[in-house]
Formats: sequence, C-alpha cells, structure tokens
Amino acid sequence: MSKSSTSRRLALLAMLAIAMVVVPAVTSLPAGISGVKDTGCNCHGTETSSSVTASISGLPEAYNASETYAVTVSFSGGPSVDGNMNLGGFNLWASDGTFATLDDSTQLWGPAEASHSESGNDQRSWVVDWTAPDSGANVDFVLHVNSVNGNEGNGGSSGDMWNRADITVLGFGDAPLPDVDPFKVLATLVIISGVMLSIVVMYIFYRKNPDSFDWENFSPWISEWLTSTDHKKIGTLYFVQGLFFLGVGGIMALMIRMQLAIPDNDFISQDYYNQFFTLHGTTMIFLAAMPLINGFANWIVPLQIGAPDLAFPRLNAMSFWLQPVAALLIFTGVFSGQGADTGWTGYAPYVVTETTHTGVSMWAAGQLMLVASSTLTGINFLTTMAVMRAPGMGWFQMPLFSWSILVANLMLFLSIPAFGVGLIQVYLDRTIGTAFYDVASGGDPLLWSHLFWYFGHPEVYVVIVPAFGVISEVIATSARRSIFGYKSMVYAMAGIGLVSFIVYGHHMFTSGMSPTLRFITMLTTMLVAVPTGIKIFNWLKTMHGGSLVYRTHTLWTLGFLVTFTLGGISGMFFPSMGMDVHLHETYFVVAHFHYVLVGGTVFGFFAAIYYWYPKMTGRMLDERLGVLHFLTAFISYNALFWPMHRLGVVGMIRRTHTYYITTDDFNALPEWAADWNMLISVSAFLFFASNLILVYNMIKTLVRGDKAPADPWGGWSFEWMTSSPPPTPSFDPHNLPELKDANEHVANEPGIFGQMFRRLMVSDDAAEEGSH
Amino acid sequence: MAGITPLFDAIWDDYMFWSLVVGAISFGWLYHHTYFYRAKEGESPNIDDIEVGVFPKDYDNLKLEVTWTVLPFILIVWLTYISWAPLDAVWSQTGPDGYHGSECPEGESSANFIDDSGYVRSTCYHEIGIEGQQWFWEFDCYGLSEDICSTGYATVEGELKPHLILKAGETYLAEMTSIDVTHAVKNPDFGMMEDVVPGQTTYLWMPAVEETSFLMLCAEYCGDNHAYMIAQITVE
Repeated sequence: MSKSSTSRRLALLAMLAIAMVVVPAVTSLPAGISGVKDTGCNCHGTETSSSVTASISGLPEAYNASETYAVTVSFSGGPSVDGNMNLGGFNLWASDGTFATLDDSTQLWGPAEASHSESGNDQRSWVVDWTAPDSGANVDFVLHVNSVNGNEGNGGSSGDMWNRADITVLGFGDAPLPDVDPFKVLATLVIISGVMLSIVVMYIFYRKNPDSFDWENFSPWISEWLTSTDHKKIGTLYFVQGLFFLGVGGIMALMIRMQLAIPDNDFISQDYYNQFFTLHGTTMIFLAAMPLINGFANWIVPLQIGAPDLAFPRLNAMSFWLQPVAALLIFTGVFSGQGADTGWTGYAPYVVTETTHTGVSMWAAGQLMLVASSTLTGINFLTTMAVMRAPGMGWFQMPLFSWSILVANLMLFLSIPAFGVGLIQVYLDRTIGTAFYDVASGGDPLLWSHLFWYFGHPEVYVVIVPAFGVISEVIATSARRSIFGYKSMVYAMAGIGLVSFIVYGHHMFTSGMSPTLRFITMLTTMLVAVPTGIKIFNWLKTMHGGSLVYRTHTLWTLGFLVTFTLGGISGMFFPSMGMDVHLHETYFVVAHFHYVLVGGTVFGFFAAIYYWYPKMTGRMLDERLGVLHFLTAFISYNALFWPMHRLGVVGMIRRTHTYYITTDDFNALPEWAADWNMLISVSAFLFFASNLILVYNMIKTLVRGDKAPADPWGGWSFEWMTSSPPPTPSFDPHNLPELKDANEHVANEPGIFGQMFRRLMVSDDAAEEGSH
Repeated sequence: MAGITPLFDAIWDDYMFWSLVVGAISFGWLYHHTYFYRAKEGESPNIDDIEVGVFPKDYDNLKLEVTWTVLPFILIVWLTYISWAPLDAVWSQTGPDGYHGSECPEGESSANFIDDSGYVRSTCYHEIGIEGQQWFWEFDCYGLSEDICSTGYATVEGELKPHLILKAGETYLAEMTSIDVTHAVKNPDFGMMEDVVPGQTTYLWMPAVEETSFLMLCAEYCGDNHAYMIAQITVE
C-alpha cells in the first residue's frame, strides 16, 4: 500500500469516527420521535383529498388555565356515505393539556393524543374532553381524519381518503418561554466549538500553503497529526484538547452559576445541576488541567534536557490517544440524558446505588482509561529524565520546570493505582454485582474515601507543582537573574511530593474516620505550608536586585503569586479542625480550591502559554491583547471567587441546587448573600469571556504574528538554543548539546541521586569491558 | 461577620491575625520588588550573565533559606497548638472529663453556658437520634420529655420538612446513622457538622445555648434531592 493511500484511509477513518460521535449526539437527544402528527396517522390512501373536510369545534379562541372544554371533531365529504360498513376515523393531537374520553367511541393514545376506537369507527363526528394546561402557552391542535368507504372486508383501505386540519388556541398573559433541555444547550455549544475548531484547523492548513489546499495534500497532513509520535506534535494535541475541555468545563460552570444567580431559581432542574457539577469537576481536573500540563511537559521537557524526543515515543502517542476516548466515555451518559451525577469525588456507597444515573458506569470506565494514560505518561517521563539528559546535565542542573514534571509524575505514578483500584471496584459493583461498597453485605463506605483521597490529594499537587515549575522559569528569566535557591526549590518540591501522601485525611475530617487519624492528618497537613512557603519566598527573593521586564507572562506570574498566596493562606484554615467543622463542604472550600487551581494552575499555565508560545509556533503573541487578557481576567477572576469565602463563612454549602435566605421563621443565609451570588455569576461570565481574548490572540498570531527569534526572553535552558519552532528530531541524536556550568564545581560529577541511579544501571563501560 | 459560634470566633480571629501578618509580609515584599526592581526604560541588563546552554551561576543564601524554613515552621507549630484546645470541645468525650458530663438523669437540666474561652460547658447532656435517608431526615427524641425535645413538621418555602424543637440551655448528643447513602448533618447555628454514614454510628454535639431557629442542611452530596434534604431546628 502506498503512503498516500494509507494516509488517505487514516484521514477518512478519523472523519468517520468524528461523524459517528457527532451524529448520535445529535439524534439521540431526547427530543422524542416525530409522531403521528407529522406523518399523518394511519391514513388510508396515499394522498390528501380536497374533497374531505376536517373540522374542530368547541375550542375557544384563547383558553383559561386548567379549564375543560368539550372538543367536537368531525369531517364531511369523501367516500364515506351512510350505509357503509365503516364511516371513518380520526386522530387528534395537542401540543399541551390532556384529553379525556367521554364514551367508548374514542380512546387515548397518550395524554395529549386521542383517536377513535373500534366501536367509534361508524361515526363522522366524535367528542372528547380537553383540559387546558396552566402554562399559558399557545396550544397547537392537529387533526387527521379518514373518510372510509367501508370495503374493509374486500380491499382494505383502498379508495379511502383523508385530510388534516390545524388549529391554534391562544394562551393567556405572557406565555413562558419553552423549556430548553440543558444538555441540548451544552451539546450545541460543544458541537459549535468543535465545528469552529475544525474550521480553525482547516484555515491553518490553508494558510500553510494556499496553493495546495486540496484533499491530496490535506489527507497526509491530517494523518500525520493523527499518527505522529513526535513529542512536539503530541504536545500540541494535548494542548488543544486541554483548551477545548477548559472551554467545555467553563460552559458547565456558567450553567451552574446561572442556576445559583438568584435563590430558588429553576433555570436548570436539580437533575441536570447535579450532572453539571459532577462533569465540571471531572472535566476540569482530568480533561483540562492534566492535558494542559502534559501538553507543556511533552513540548518542553525533552527540549529542556536536550533530548531528541521522549524515551518511548509510541507509548507517548498511546497516552494521548487514550484521552479523547476516555473523554467520550466520561460524557457518554450525557448523550442519553443520564450523565454521571455523583460529584467528581463519587462518594460510596451513593456511587454504586441504583438512584445514580446509568452514565456513572461509563464515567468510571472513562476515568480508568485516564488512569492508564497517566501511568504510561509517568513511565515515559521518569525514564526520559533519568536517562536522556544531555551531557553535562546532572540532576541538579535540570531546569526547574523539568524538575516539577519529574516530581508531579512521581507523585501521580505512586498515587493513581489506588484510584484505579477504587474505580475497578465501583465498576464491578455497578456492572456485575460485586459488593465492595454494598453496606448491607458488609462493604465499607470509607474504603472509597481512603482510596480516592490517597490519590485525590497528591492529584491536586500533581496539578499545581508543574505550575510552580513554570513560575520558577518565568520569574527568573523576567527578572534577568538566576533563580534564588535552586536547590531549596528542588527540595521544596520533593517535600511537597512527600508530604502530599500523608495529608489526605483532612478531606475526611467529618467523615466518621478514627479521631486519632484525624488528629495526625491535622498535624501533617499544617506541614504543607513549610515547603510552599519556601517556594514563595524564593520567588520573591529572586526579584531582589533584578531588573523585572514586564511582559504578559511576567504579569501572569505576579498574578499567580498574589492569588496562590491568598489560596495558600485560606488553605491554612482547614487543618485547624475546630474551624474545619464549620467550614467543611461550604463555599469557603470552593473559594480555596479555585484560588489554588485556577489562580495557581491555570494562571501558571497562562504564563506558560505566553512564555513558550513563540518557541512552539515561531510566532510572537500580541502583547497588547495579552495585557488586556490579563487585566480583564484577573479582575473578573477575583470578583468571581473572592466573595465565595464570605458566603462559605456564613454557611452556604456546596453542591446544592439552591440556597435558602433567612426568613421570619428560620435563620439561613443573610439577605445580601443573594446579591453576592448574582455578582459571582456575572463575574463568571466576564471571566469566561475574557479568556476568549487569549484564544483570539493565539489564532490571530498563528496566522499573521511577528516571527519569533530563538531566544526572545533571554532564558538559559536548551529549549532556547533550538530554532523557533524547533526541528524534528528536536536535537541531533549524534550531536547532542552539552550543558556548561557557570559555577566552578565539576559539572559532570553525579550528585547523590545520580550515584544511586548509576548503581541500578549497567553502565556502558562495564558492558564494554565485559565483552573483551 | 466571622462568628457563627463563640468557639469559631476565637480561633477565627487568631487565624485572621496571622493571615494578615503573612499576607502583609508577602504582598509588601511583592509590591516593593516588582516596583523597585523593575526594568528601566530601554534598559535590559543581564545581571547574572545568563547565557543559553550554560547553567546559571548559583544565587542562594543558606541563612535566608533556613530562616524562611524555620519561621513558617514555628508559626505552624503555634497554629497547631491553638487549634488543639477547640478540638476537645468539638469532639468532647462523654463522662466527667468531657465538656458536657454524662447523660442527664430524668428531669435534670444541662444548664449549659459559654465559658470565657468560648467553649460550651454543661453539667449533663441528653441523647437524641438522627437518621438520614434519601432525601429526608428523621428525628428521634428517645423518650425525652416534651419540653426538652419534640418533633413535628414545619413549612419551609411551601414544603413540609421535619422539625426538631429543642430547649435553650440544654445540650444534646445526636446519635446518627443513615439507612442508604452517606449524608451529613450541618447545623450552621451550632457551627459543627459530621457525616452520617450507613452501617456506622457517628455522633455530633448539639449545644443549644440561645433561642434560635435555623435550617439543618445535608452537607454531603447524596443524589437527586440533596439540596432539598433540609430540616428546621428550633431552640425555644
């Protein structure tokens, strides 16, 4: 098979796969099957006959709420003449309200659909009761009649004729807008985003070479993206996936905020609300934050350590391609209106009970694939950094971003098996009826909490530590200085990694877990502040005596320092159990983790985008748009999450569809809480909108940005040595760069980790000597 | 605004003080350096002679680094220490060593009060039962006399919800369990919460010191009607 036909098949396959995903997403939406009213009942004969006249009487011009009307339907004309064996039939459909039969000549085919019965076959007019709805909306009636010649016994319906009549009864007052299925809104927005993404992809392809804009050139180009094992291409795929799901998760957050804008709102039903906050959490952590991090890790780590590619490029491609499939599984329930509704923590035993949606099984299965993906990524990065550092680069000359990815992957690698085990248990409980979490059979609900949080707490550090790496790179480069305390930075990261495994119990302070364990985790959780504090003070000291160049990535880094410090301080309130029993499960928690996850991870990776985008694409981002993005996003972000602290303190709890305001009868939230919620919701929309500036900026500069030099910011690590964008392979494997050291100590001398590792490996020299 | 209960108030104020101290140091430092050490117009000095492909020269100071390892450590030891005492109040044991004594003999009152440190102390307590179920609460007074504990229904935003009527000055220990999934009792006015776990019995102190009426919420997500799984508690 020639190369071009292979790539053509691949491209076709990909398009088919996309179509298969999109088509059921559209058609399986619970819009119902277009019924009799459109196709025309069991109409006798094939065509309407103008000689038959259908009529409806007894309906008012405008109805009163809940009033009952006797509706007479009748027809005249056609082959129906007295003396026939049968005379005719009808089908009456209404868009609202309910029918009721008055005698045995009619029957109901549903609350809003009536027809004649067997015994009513010998009539030309029928009467049914119709009870008007109380919604006030206009009601449409569709009537179909058959005029029958009665030759039932010898020729079926041949010679019969039919016709149709339509009538609309007006509602009263201001009719409410029809309810929209929130999933349709979500699906529509997702599909629109997908279509826009495809248009952007096509446009980028077109701009690459306007003359060769045809299928012959497009299919190899797109199949190259689908099958590439190049770390840079896979990094870009991760990055696009991460941004896409950041948008999807954001849309779900907006739905949540719309619902909470005013108390006792009914914008979306509680059923949908529960699914939206579940999928918002899962999407943001697993499908947005992790891929964004992996995108930069893929791109930058091999470049920084001077490796031509990752150690296992094909494994890397597999890690990525597990992600979109997992995403589909996670969202599978949504397509049938049965999305996961357990919260992203999926607490047992609720997660295995029958009151959950069926989509939970698929949600668990999808996350299992993510576990596999993360494990493979962990193997890949740990190996790459252990054996593929350029000559001259000891462990303690590795750039801090690479160090952060090393620490994050080590944490993930050691913690995610627990999550995998828990998910398998949940999946088996749900599908083949095992009883890991069935309390009646002796299952332990706390087992899940332990497994989940043993993974869950390191996981949130997995998400934040790479942001620390980015900030370390950006702040040193922007201040035109070496990072202050390189070694203590590494030790602090390692310390965070270590501590992360012994603090998870603070998520279970009110869970009925053993008080001794609660007390121990209170002590260990406090410890987290120490390594985090070292990092913050080191960053601040780095600026001392420097010359801070204000670029967009500098602004985001300073923004990170502000929001992350605030998030860190609010985090100190939780290990203190006397306070935690007040604040647990309130919006204070929501505010805290959005301050560290959005203000930390997302801001950190916004800085990374502005910092490394020129390297990745060879184009400079527009600084003016960047500053505009920073200012709008930073302000709206704080207006969005800061008020949540106060709402939490006065007792507004998480994950509820509504909240109660104090009345004369009982205390609940103070009256101003409603206004603050409105402020939060408005800010949420502004924050979402402000991030579109970044998307616009990236697309605009990709198409016509200024060309980027190899080292636009003045960094020292190897990625700035390559051209922008870098070649493939990133470095010539036969001519690897060699790291020099501005310090006097011998650069090649292995450090303590290097010596330990070297003992585990058969060195090339030893192997060579053995062969003599 | 901070206070819901005096216990919470005391520890909250301590934490707020130290938060402000840490915040003032960090932000003061940040604002000073970002302003004072900004690049001047048209100037781009390379202070540490950073060069591509060369590991930059060390910039550290062991004394400083040890300082900001040890000082935060001392601070968190202090914060842990001040968090310790309320712990006993939140999860006080029963019996003479606890804050609320032993179970009251019939007809005796808890006579609870708030001491100088903000802790509720009582001579004895009454035991009541709370059972969670998707998606409502059930209260059980365990045969306590009507004036100390009674149950009924209250209308909350047009819906009938369980209603527990307690007496001011009495301290209650709720013995809690769930018959299906995990729920959590959150009593904002008493300021404490605890999960209600199927197959287990958990306990929560409910010190009714002052007259109030508030909504008891379910604070652990438990499915479809989670948000409406509420009850009213009135302290008379």
